[in-house]
Amino acid sequence: MSKAPPLVVDVQDLTIRFGSFVAVNRISFSVKQGEIFGFLGANGAGKTTTIRMLCGLLIPNEGEAYISGISIHQDVQAIKTKVGYMSQHFTLYNDLTVAENLAFAADLRKLEETALEKRKKELFQFVDFTYPEKILVKNLPGGVKQQISLATAILHDPDIIFLDEPTAGVAPLVRAKFWKLINKLARAGKTVFVTTHYLDEAEQCDRIALMRDGEIIALDTPKKLKQKTFPEPLLEIEPPLGASRSWMDKLKVDPKIAVIQAYGRRYHVLVKNGKEWKKISRKLPRDYLLRKIQPSLEDVFIRQVEGDPA
Amino acid sequence: MSEVFRWSRAFSVARKEVRHVWRDPFTLAWSIGLPLILVIFFGYAIDFNVRDVQLNIADRDNTRASRQFLQQFSSSQYFKLKHVKPGENVRRDLDQERIKGVLIIEPGFGRAVGAKQPTTVQLLLDGADNSTVGIIIGYVAGIQKAVQQKLYGERKIMPLQMKSRFLFNQEQSSQWFIVPGLVVIVVGLLSILLTALTVAREWENGSMELLLSTPVKPLEIILGKLAPYLVIVLISAGLVYLIARFQFGIPFRGSHLLFVGGVILFLTLCLAQGLLISVITRQQQLAMMLSFISGLLPTLLLSGFIFPIESMPKFFYYFTYILAPRWFMVISRGLFLKGAGIYELAEPLLMLLLLNIILVVVAIKSFKQDMEP
Amino acid sequence: MNQTIRGFIKKEFIQVFRDKRMLVLLFIAPIIQLTLFGYAISNEVRNIRLAVQFQPGDSMARHIEERALASGWFVPATGEGDPFVLVQSGRAEVVLVAPPKGLTTALRSGGGEIQVLLDATNMIRARGIEQYLQAIIWEVLAGEFPQQDLKPVLNINTRVLYNPAMKTSYFLVPGVMVVLMCLLTVIMTSMSIVREREIGTFETLVTAPVRNWEILLGKTLPFVILALVQVTLILIAAVLIFGLPMQSPLWKFYLAAFMFICTTVAIGTMISTMSRTQQQAMMGSFLFMFPGILLSGMMFPLENMPKAIMGIAYLNPLKYFLTLLRNILLKGGDDWVFWSNLGALALLAVVAMAFSFNRFKQTLN
Repeated sequence: MSKAPPLVVDVQDLTIRFGSFVAVNRISFSVKQGEIFGFLGANGAGKTTTIRMLCGLLIPNEGEAYISGISIHQDVQAIKTKVGYMSQHFTLYNDLTVAENLAFAADLRKLEETALEKRKKELFQFVDFTYPEKILVKNLPGGVKQQISLATAILHDPDIIFLDEPTAGVAPLVRAKFWKLINKLARAGKTVFVTTHYLDEAEQCDRIALMRDGEIIALDTPKKLKQKTFPEPLLEIEPPLGASRSWMDKLKVDPKIAVIQAYGRRYHVLVKNGKEWKKISRKLPRDYLLRKIQPSLEDVFIRQVEGDPA
Repeated sequence: MSEVFRWSRAFSVARKEVRHVWRDPFTLAWSIGLPLILVIFFGYAIDFNVRDVQLNIADRDNTRASRQFLQQFSSSQYFKLKHVKPGENVRRDLDQERIKGVLIIEPGFGRAVGAKQPTTVQLLLDGADNSTVGIIIGYVAGIQKAVQQKLYGERKIMPLQMKSRFLFNQEQSSQWFIVPGLVVIVVGLLSILLTALTVAREWENGSMELLLSTPVKPLEIILGKLAPYLVIVLISAGLVYLIARFQFGIPFRGSHLLFVGGVILFLTLCLAQGLLISVITRQQQLAMMLSFISGLLPTLLLSGFIFPIESMPKFFYYFTYILAPRWFMVISRGLFLKGAGIYELAEPLLMLLLLNIILVVVAIKSFKQDMEP
Repeated sequence: MNQTIRGFIKKEFIQVFRDKRMLVLLFIAPIIQLTLFGYAISNEVRNIRLAVQFQPGDSMARHIEERALASGWFVPATGEGDPFVLVQSGRAEVVLVAPPKGLTTALRSGGGEIQVLLDATNMIRARGIEQYLQAIIWEVLAGEFPQQDLKPVLNINTRVLYNPAMKTSYFLVPGVMVVLMCLLTVIMTSMSIVREREIGTFETLVTAPVRNWEILLGKTLPFVILALVQVTLILIAAVLIFGLPMQSPLWKFYLAAFMFICTTVAIGTMISTMSRTQQQAMMGSFLFMFPGILLSGMMFPLENMPKAIMGIAYLNPLKYFLTLLRNILLKGGDDWVFWSNLGALALLAVVAMAFSFNRFKQTLN
């Protein structure tokens, strides 16, 4: 194929059921090389299940997916050589040292010893691992364990990397560091899938798929998602301290208003017609502040995932 | 400790554990089903009254007397005879373990009997399996007497007759011997294994640390975690009792109150042992191995269940004093079969109590120590 | 050898050898257990607590008591009183009660009867005790009435082959060996695969492009090796401590042990493919091992079990290995016994392996 960048993941109508429960329902999407692709959704929305199907760990009931051109129904073993998977569970052996864990992972993938030594050096540098490699994994701090997990997942230098909530329960500083690694991987031409709960992390993805109840309900770049979800301007109203809720309650039944969502002390308001927002501002008591704001992904998430009748 | 023990917290730990057990019907089915199967299975399977012992016969005499002699063997119900052709290797079947023994009657047997002269018959037995050999020798002794009387006439009567009464188990039934012993086995095994594993699991998946970060006290955790298993094993013990009584018709001649007391003493002791194992190992695989080594094997082999404690060398005889199943075995059999009362069972009960206190205290101490760095 | 499998072996060995407690359980505990059970257990009837109740001056009864105690089989019971209560409380296992007139007078007047109260709770022991007493009374009578020839004219000369001294240890040590080996292989393998699933490392295995057989072989081969080391230690202990006559060539022993280990490791694997948690795996192992031990022939005679249960016993690898061990260690091995039991083990191993291989899935469904 001459067109660059090529598609590396192509998913059509992928469906999986556990008993009568449909965990993932007819999802379709495709991902290009070098993309950072985010999965966003509540627990149980089907993110992990989707990733596991793409890694060949779960067999879908229906649908098709091609990983680097290989069907997941065809040759799971070949796919496994192309992808790296970092589970949301901790999957290192606590009672082995860092070096022993990596050596075992290398044996599983039949990586020769000299190749392993070379790759290990690269990876330690890449993740900035400064402990002695003979340290038992259980004695490492949580963030470093995650780094080693990542190193193990990409030991065989895969083209596609699946990261399932890699930063769950990790300190903010470490999270930021981890995302730097993700960006570095993407720059090196790797395709990265990430699931996350953190919306600030999702902003850093090239594209995001929003999942709810096993379906993808929205898929686009963060910017376009915001635009699509909020074609009308988003308003923020900040009542003065100690104001009663009665005024806001009145506003809720106003026919011009589509949605009012409480954000702490403030309210995010969406009007049905963009031009009418000035009218609303006139109605407000003087000590209520009103301003036009940029929607955050959180707004998108709430509007899309939790749904609303508008 | 800054705070006092609270029943409410122990209770909520227990509720969580009950939910655990309830959600995993496998555990429940196992804890209730296994004892049932074991007791019924072994109640029927184990029979020390060996019948149809296979013997090869080499009758090289082949006279009326030798045939009469063999007649006595085959009519005894204990033996099944197979004649070997002359010249055939009599020992081959024995080596190949198709038979238990060979009976050889040499030529001249009939002549000796006719002349009322002493004579000898050879019996070769497979001694590699001496659980049966002792029994067979006993049968042979009985037949020898009968056949001697028949062939030689009544001239040798012992002037002193033994009038034996087999007390407590007149029918000499294997079931009466085995089934009351199974109560011990079932209670001991279930309680040690279940506790050793549930507490070790808690350590292994880190939820023990979660429990520790709450104000729940160690004693509350112990009580809460173990109470549901206490109930489960009590139910199992009850089931074994019912099967023993109604399925096998084994009498219960002692006091039920003492029985329940004994079961609880033994049961709490085993729970403590399980707890101690899990504290030492903190890992399920190890906990399981240690439960087998310190629980299953001594309970099966050193408790007097099958192998009598009296026959052990002195050192080992006294060694069994520290084994709880040995004492509970005496209590269970004493209550079922002998109708023993608190006076007769004073020694085993006291020993059980003593061991119980020691083990419970040690287990709780080490559990607490383990949790309070 | 395949690099993946080599990696598994290395990894499992590191894990086992790093945990000192596991080492003790694997290599030291079995020796202690073998010694303990080998010395302690015996189904001989010994140390029988005997009480003889008779009138003062009944020399005949006293003679019987003395003779019994001198025989080495009996020890005096503690306490006196009602013979029934003595037996009930366990202070005596057997009580002889002489007739009120005294045995001596009874015998002079032509014949007497002596009451024997036996504790038949353990009826095997009770029968043994009765036989011993019979023999002792007969001996005493023969001494008292030398003019009456009481010697049996018809002797049945019983020779116990392979274990002429009727040593219980000869009979039991092979049994204990079987049980100890089984502990290692079944428990360790059944729990180790499930353990990886439980702690999450199973995902590391299955995200790599490894074949099913590589995982299965890699997870089980280390235990086969460990078990072979263990069986060597146990054999050395059995021969050195208990003087078991090693009647067959060593290759027969190792071939049998290897086949048994393969069978039990395969069964352990089978259990682990059927369990989701370690607790279930341990229950499964227990469900196999407990009947396995009891139906091995180590503790009970198998011959006269009901047909249905005999059928189950035929599925029991412990029974075949025990037969093999007794054959190899004590008898010097008939070829037919050796090969047929080995064949039975191999068949069980193949079935269990095929089953596990079919059930084992790399997917997480």
